[in-house]
Amino acid sequence: MNIFLLLHVLILFIFPPLLLGIIGKTKAFFAGRIGPPLLQPYFDLYKLLHKASVYSVTTHWIFRAAPMISTAAILSAGILMPIANLRPPVQFGGDIILFVYLFALARFVIILAALDTGSSFEGMGASREATFGAFSEIAMFFNLTILALLSRKLSLSGIFLGGLSSSWVLVGPVLILVVVSFFLVLLVENSRIPIDDPDTHLELTMIHEVMVLDHSGVDLCYILYGNAVKLFLFSTMLVSIIFTFRSPDIFLNLVLFILEIVGLAILIGVVESTMARLRLNKVPYLLFSAFIFSIIGFIVILVRGH
Amino acid sequence: MNVWLDAALISVIILGLFIVASTRLATMIQIFSVQSVILGCVPLLMYAKDLEFFIIIISLAAVVLRGFIMPNFLFWAIRHVSVRSEASPFIGLGTTLLLSGVSIVGSFLLASRLVFPVAISSDLVVPSSFSLIIMGFILIVGRTKAISQVIGYLLLENGIFLFAILLLKKMPLLVEMGILLDLFIATVVMGIVVNNISEEFNNMDTVELSTLKD
Repeated sequence: MNIFLLLHVLILFIFPPLLLGIIGKTKAFFAGRIGPPLLQPYFDLYKLLHKASVYSVTTHWIFRAAPMISTAAILSAGILMPIANLRPPVQFGGDIILFVYLFALARFVIILAALDTGSSFEGMGASREATFGAFSEIAMFFNLTILALLSRKLSLSGIFLGGLSSSWVLVGPVLILVVVSFFLVLLVENSRIPIDDPDTHLELTMIHEVMVLDHSGVDLCYILYGNAVKLFLFSTMLVSIIFTFRSPDIFLNLVLFILEIVGLAILIGVVESTMARLRLNKVPYLLFSAFIFSIIGFIVILVRGH
Repeated sequence: MNVWLDAALISVIILGLFIVASTRLATMIQIFSVQSVILGCVPLLMYAKDLEFFIIIISLAAVVLRGFIMPNFLFWAIRHVSVRSEASPFIGLGTTLLLSGVSIVGSFLLASRLVFPVAISSDLVVPSSFSLIIMGFILIVGRTKAISQVIGYLLLENGIFLFAILLLKKMPLLVEMGILLDLFIATVVMGIVVNNISEEFNNMDTVELSTLKD
């Protein structure tokens, strides 16, 4: 059993930056370029680890603590989430709430750090991040409520380790709503393209990137790594909703899981290549539609008395 | 539980939301067309077990008339209009979406209280028809362009059609055909009104009508 726990933690720690590499490759393919190598995110992180950090004299300890706290929060969310049908190290009833609020904690400290720099750009980014976060959290919670109602479990491992196996047959349409809504939440939470462009550094339009402009060296490495893990966890959740089939063989599961998550990364890359970034004042409508999708699904589940 | 019927009804509600949430006239008409085609298939899905000839006829008529002829007519009506989007609606987009969301919740609550004389094959039919009707009203009240009001009227009529499907076995074919004819003529009349407004005022804002004096 312990070897499986170790495997779970290893995947959680090592796999995430590869997703960014796959997304980058897909975008490069669409642009007709060769693109950076798949392992480029790892190289970037390695490079950042060896650089010294520069701290502005106006910042306090919050600024220095934030990257560590946020990465730690995201990684602790990771040990609640079953990956590739592997039982997570920690599980208890109600951990879905802890899961969502660990992400909220990560966001909160980053916002604090951004405000701490005293830069007006970062303050603007912090304000946007807080607004959109407030919207996406509602949609996220409604989705999790639907999943909890369907599986009659309150823990992530209960929901995703077999809790949903018969739901696609019974209430497929509702789960499609959940998947669409969750995909929108994924794009918003990880500041991917229709909402935010992770590659540009145009301060006026950015949301998430603008908040970390002042971080450098190891701190930036923490933040980038934390974001990669966050994207990985959201993708894991999405593929666990879509593909409920799991074989008893642990290695077949692992292969299937990696295929699914690579497929999702390619899908995100395709969305990023084919869509333009939304105008900032349209983003709330997107979030609102994610919310409405989830609430319609929720109502249908309630009516059915599932 | 009929999964396909559920999928059709949920997508009808969501397409209704898309219509309410969009401001470009062409997009609204296209989404309306898709919604009507899905709606036209609902009778087939609902009575899939004992399919009768007139049900197929009604389905076909709904798909052809609502899904293709009326959208084409609406496109014909806006062919000369320069303003292709709803610039200044009475009710803003966010508020409209919020109202529609509330109306959907309300329809589900209302439908769960009602008792029907006929057996209902899916418990989503009545709420989705109510929410379509209310979304149609919201469009009629909240928009200023005549063509969006026509689309609101059509959306409302789609809701009524959905409700009527429940009574399809009891309701003679004639009544249904009569409704379709009414609808068609109403659309034609509104199309002519739109044309006339746009000829007189160079746009098709119905707000202009209140300042008419003879």
